[in-house]
Amino acid sequence: MAMLEIEGVNKAFGGLQAITSLDLRVEKGEIVSVIGPNGAGKTTLFNLITGVYRPDSGNIQFQGRSIVGKKPNQIVDLGVARTFQNLRLFTNLTVLDNVLIPQHHKLNSTWFSAVLKTPAYRRKEQEMREFALEKLSFFGPRLMSFRLYQPVYVLSYANRRRTEIARAMATGAKLLLLDEPSAGMNPKETTEITQIIRRMRDEGGYTILLVEHKMNLVGEISDRVVVLDYGEKIAEGAYQQVVNDPKVIEAYLGKRVDDDEGASPEEPGLPR
Amino acid sequence: MAADVGVKNKDARNTLLGFLGIAALVLVLLFVQSLATAEDPLRGVAKFNGALTLFAIWGIAAVSLNLINGTLGILSLGHHGFMLIGGYATGLLILSEDARNRILVSGRSTMTERTLGLSVHSWFESLGLDALTTDDTLWLRYLVAIVVGGLVAAFAGLIVGIPSLRLRGDYLAIVTFGFGEIIRLSASTRLFAPLTNGALGFPGVPQRFASDQLLWPFGLLALTVFVMAKLKYSSYGRAMEAIREDEIAAEAMGINLAYHKVLGFVIAAFFAGVAGGLWVSWLGGVRLDFFLFQLTFFFLVAISVGGTGSITGVLLGTALVVFIRQYGDPLEQSYAVSTWAQLVGVVFLIAAGAVIVYRSARRVRPRVHPVVYLLGTAALVAILLGLVAPSFDFWQETFRGFGMRAIFLSVLLIVIMIFRPSGIVGRSEFSWAWVFGERRDQPTEEERAQDAWLTNPELQRRLAGDEENLHSIDGDSKGES
Repeated sequence: MAMLEIEGVNKAFGGLQAITSLDLRVEKGEIVSVIGPNGAGKTTLFNLITGVYRPDSGNIQFQGRSIVGKKPNQIVDLGVARTFQNLRLFTNLTVLDNVLIPQHHKLNSTWFSAVLKTPAYRRKEQEMREFALEKLSFFGPRLMSFRLYQPVYVLSYANRRRTEIARAMATGAKLLLLDEPSAGMNPKETTEITQIIRRMRDEGGYTILLVEHKMNLVGEISDRVVVLDYGEKIAEGAYQQVVNDPKVIEAYLGKRVDDDEGASPEEPGLPR
Repeated sequence: MAADVGVKNKDARNTLLGFLGIAALVLVLLFVQSLATAEDPLRGVAKFNGALTLFAIWGIAAVSLNLINGTLGILSLGHHGFMLIGGYATGLLILSEDARNRILVSGRSTMTERTLGLSVHSWFESLGLDALTTDDTLWLRYLVAIVVGGLVAAFAGLIVGIPSLRLRGDYLAIVTFGFGEIIRLSASTRLFAPLTNGALGFPGVPQRFASDQLLWPFGLLALTVFVMAKLKYSSYGRAMEAIREDEIAAEAMGINLAYHKVLGFVIAAFFAGVAGGLWVSWLGGVRLDFFLFQLTFFFLVAISVGGTGSITGVLLGTALVVFIRQYGDPLEQSYAVSTWAQLVGVVFLIAAGAVIVYRSARRVRPRVHPVVYLLGTAALVAILLGLVAPSFDFWQETFRGFGMRAIFLSVLLIVIMIFRPSGIVGRSEFSWAWVFGERRDQPTEEERAQDAWLTNPELQRRLAGDEENLHSIDGDSKGES
């Protein structure tokens, strides 16, 4: 049973076909990257999986259960969490609060026992805190100690990205959808986040589906790469194989008009 | 371990200080109450007593509205409707026997014997608890009535909340306003007239709880603040704040939006109902025009002025609004025009001074803005004109400042919204750690050094004299750029 199984999914916004009969399988413990030019439908795919949009047709199964038509929060309950391309953190709340909030859906105390702070609730609160610290510690000391109590709006852009990834992990999800985890990071930080994503899979046991534009990150960690263009899957396979695919090169760089002009076939423009 | 002991010590200190603070407040309240209920009370004390009661009652309503507006981030304009429901329910349940008989014999009333029979008194009687139906135990019946009033309001909150909370932003605000008005107007219709006595309302709600005994409204205010504060710092409160910050992200993090919005709405409606129960007791009766939209407006002003989402701020804002309302009456009396001119001059001078102080504190240059000269000149002219007034007939006339209190409140709101849009205290809450200046979000020297190293590893290497690595980093950055 695959972790995530997408079969023949279509999604149109008015006359724009954003996703066309897409099939995708993600096995447990895999890191799968989705790449493609701007407007290829990568984020739409994420929105379909997380229940923000409902597919026009087709089926999406998570661990063998269909998740089509479920609300985003129900899908999180099942074990799928995401990060956002343009950061949607709870800006005025502290880093710790940001990582505690996604654990709320697992809380089984009533609001009344939370107000009265019953011993059972206190224990839960303590567990939630420890779980939050465990997830934040994936990023070393960067988000620990005094940073825990800082509101998110004082954090640097890279730290906000890290907080968002920690927040997605804290939902207790098994499948993480990372929408451009390294956007806005410098080369050093990108290297670091690459290692962290790998550690999330190896040590945390997460399955990861990610959208990314930085090809060196994609090439380094992906078990499999899926290329989308105009909502269609044009290639799938190992990184080396995919980036040399003529269809992929065409999608990124356009068709050659003349042999004398344009890029030569030996230099596809993508780093290997 | 040492840090743990430190935390424990501080917790103990905070608890102790909290108890001492509450005890001090209770003593002050008892003192004021004893002065106000003395044989021959001073006029000022009675007025102060009234202002304190109004503060407590409005404080309950404002703090509960803050759960919707500040914590959940939903603009709700129907709070007076929930207060009305709580007020009418409490009023009917605790109405004195005299008042019931008077309504029954009057020909104009549509209230029936059956609806008039609804009282905590008769409930206790039918249960055979005769000890609880005496005049001495009225307080218990009042407590029951207030809780029932709150529950009825909470139920109304549930009915209103479930359909309307699907909406967002402005649309929701309009819908809540609509529901508030529907509640108010339907209370006067024939359908509800047997319960509400239509547009007439009914007098005869025992006044002693809200008027003479400060501990009643303040006790309930303390309960409200306790519940709201504990809720805010619980997992549920965090979930609600997440909804305020970003609904889409909150839903993507597993929070059930509808459930938490309705939950907040119902809890807030309950406390609005409690405030309504105290409000009718303070006014000694129930009437439709005790529950105008103006009430919600005052609470909104209190929330915005004090600090949206901060319980401390809301209490501060309520105190300000109540103070202006209770002590602003000198503003509405008639004075000679020359006095008004002088008053305007003084206000202008204060404004000019405030501009200078504000700009110096914020290090804005030029410190003395041209507007200050303008204000100063206008102020001097106004004061001078006021002084030479006796020479001119026009200045002898008097002018009565009707509505000057509302204008003053509005101007205050404008000024605060311009200079401190998040309210006087912003989002922060009162805490002993804040009093003692302890901040957990500030790094120690060690942490600061580590953080600097994390952001710029070269720094540390240079300090350690690790020349080789330094070069390799330079090489890296060249290669990548």
